[in-house]
Amino acid sequence: MTVAPVLRPEFDAELRAGLAVVGGMFPPTITDDLIDFMRVSYASPPMDDVLRDRGIAREEHVAPGHLGDPIEVSVLRPPGQDGPRPAVVYAHSGGLMFGDRFSGIDLVLDWVDRMGAILVTVEYRLAPEFPDPYPREDMYAALEWTAAHADALDIRTDRLVVAGASAGGGLAAGMALAARDRGGPPLVGQVLDYPMLDDRGITTSMHQFDGVGVWDRVSNQTGWRALLGDACGSESVSPYAAPSRAENLHGLPPAFIDVGAAEVFRDEAIAYADALWKAGGDAELHVWSGAFHACDIFAPHTAVGQSMIKTRNTWLETILAD
Amino acid sequence: MQELLGRIARLDPSASLGLRVIACFDELVVGNVNTRALLSAAASLAGCVAGFHQDQPVRSLRVNPRGEVLRDTTAPVPPTATTADGLSVWLERVGDALPNDAIILERLALAVRIRHGRSRTGFDHRRDLGRLVDMDTPVDERMAAAGALGLGATRLYRLVTAPLFAVWERHPRGPEDVVPTVHGPIHAVIVPAQPGDETLKASPAGIGVATQPQGLHHSFRTALVALRLCDPPRVPTVHADEYGGLIGLLADAPAASAQPDADRLAELEAHGWGAATIEAVIHSQSVRQAARLAGVHHSTMQTRIDTITTLLGFDPFDGFGKPRLGTAYLVWRLRRSRVLELPSPTKETRT
Repeated sequence: MTVAPVLRPEFDAELRAGLAVVGGMFPPTITDDLIDFMRVSYASPPMDDVLRDRGIAREEHVAPGHLGDPIEVSVLRPPGQDGPRPAVVYAHSGGLMFGDRFSGIDLVLDWVDRMGAILVTVEYRLAPEFPDPYPREDMYAALEWTAAHADALDIRTDRLVVAGASAGGGLAAGMALAARDRGGPPLVGQVLDYPMLDDRGITTSMHQFDGVGVWDRVSNQTGWRALLGDACGSESVSPYAAPSRAENLHGLPPAFIDVGAAEVFRDEAIAYADALWKAGGDAELHVWSGAFHACDIFAPHTAVGQSMIKTRNTWLETILAD
Repeated sequence: MQELLGRIARLDPSASLGLRVIACFDELVVGNVNTRALLSAAASLAGCVAGFHQDQPVRSLRVNPRGEVLRDTTAPVPPTATTADGLSVWLERVGDALPNDAIILERLALAVRIRHGRSRTGFDHRRDLGRLVDMDTPVDERMAAAGALGLGATRLYRLVTAPLFAVWERHPRGPEDVVPTVHGPIHAVIVPAQPGDETLKASPAGIGVATQPQGLHHSFRTALVALRLCDPPRVPTVHADEYGGLIGLLADAPAASAQPDADRLAELEAHGWGAATIEAVIHSQSVRQAARLAGVHHSTMQTRIDTITTLLGFDPFDGFGKPRLGTAYLVWRLRRSRVLELPSPTKETRT
């Protein structure tokens, strides 16, 4: 018996070229021993020049996180803000183990300077040093803090959105579930970019991309195990940590979900949108052909990257803009 | 991607960014992408606007590093443009040129010409190496390529192969290029075959067998197999010579060829001792010697060899048992090779 080759959709040609450049900086397969490397490699570059060029003002705050511990929160304001503005509470990417509140932020800055929204981006604590529930409860505490300080922050509480990419997408979906169940701040939308939703790793797409692209099955396992330890895959995992486990998706804010056709999260993202629809919810789902995980962050100049960014921004604009 | 290139350079000062630029455009040419996509990649790599102009019919295109097409195309073609056959491309760099500008512009010009159906001749000298190592290229074309690369027809050379992210401590002199393979873009260097030659130190890297230029396609394939047998940091480089004719057979075996011994061997993965024990058996003439090499008791080794014998259906110390086990072991290592997928582990500690 020979090993049958794994069938999988190909990467888009422009994205393949992007991978040739990325090569090795973000390895497809991330194991425990690569976490330290990734923390250096995926750290955000200095942001001050970018923010200044775009006329975005940055404020630093310390908010109470899980158990009241202090966490850093950056509030990014649109140029010439005059009066209360809509706001997005943002959870960054990085597999729950690396990245910081400015990782992959370039794309999200469009929401600030082009749509006039305020971005609240959160330095949630990272696994494995801070396992579940730290990351998700840090995020939820930051959401509560934002709503509670809306007046001082000059934020409109009637136009509050949660958003996140990859691991942050899972955290954003978890925030929306928790806000519903705990009577938290009312949300008008949730943006879930190629979200990390399911610790069980049971879908077809999860097994199609071993060792290729960005973020494969083993990387995903590394992330979930860092977060959940031995509880990973068991019945005790909270739906706020792994939203795919939520049995009731009724009464959630409208969701925007995008995902690559050529990435491990494809099937869980599709299933989540489907479950939202079945629960009578509002979800817009985009599955991008030839796209690997987070390709809009790594290769925003490509046709696929541009389409993803534009489509997402169009959706959010209908909710946020005056 | 300019930011990415800067980041790679900071993480790994030995990284050859020019090779990544070449590999990037190679993929774009193979993918047959359009002019807008080519300019987007160039602008993104350079961090400044990239432009294109053709004379007949008149058409201009300018793209910024975000991949956005700019509306203003009225400016004349700048003097820094690369122009040939009525096609011009340029980078709108403000201030001094950056180190990678020249290679980005060269590859952009080439890719645009190919997309527009112009011949490659005269613009594409770097591609000689790709032709030389391609078994399907007629021998006279391969020899012409060897001549263009300055190789002597009767001298002996080897191909050295490495992934683009390999770390080079000592880089040999010789023609080099990025060659597309089924394993992705591979960095290939041709070096003279000299006994005891130690000008090369890289991890991971595969060193092919020595041959005259006519046989360098074979050297390339053996170098690729050698590369895939690397396991840094334990085994940073592999010489095809270590395996003689066996590596040549592996290099030319179809990817889907049936290897029942290797299939059975995969079941040994469940045993923590699998690889170390097989290594010891291959390098030994007796159970006693294998036990000593592996650092285990004779009876422990005997039990393990019994397990291997039952699993494989032959005794590794009997008749063709040893070469069968050795071949199966190499096939098994090639199947589970991750050397082309992971960053070089030395980067992990360099922070």
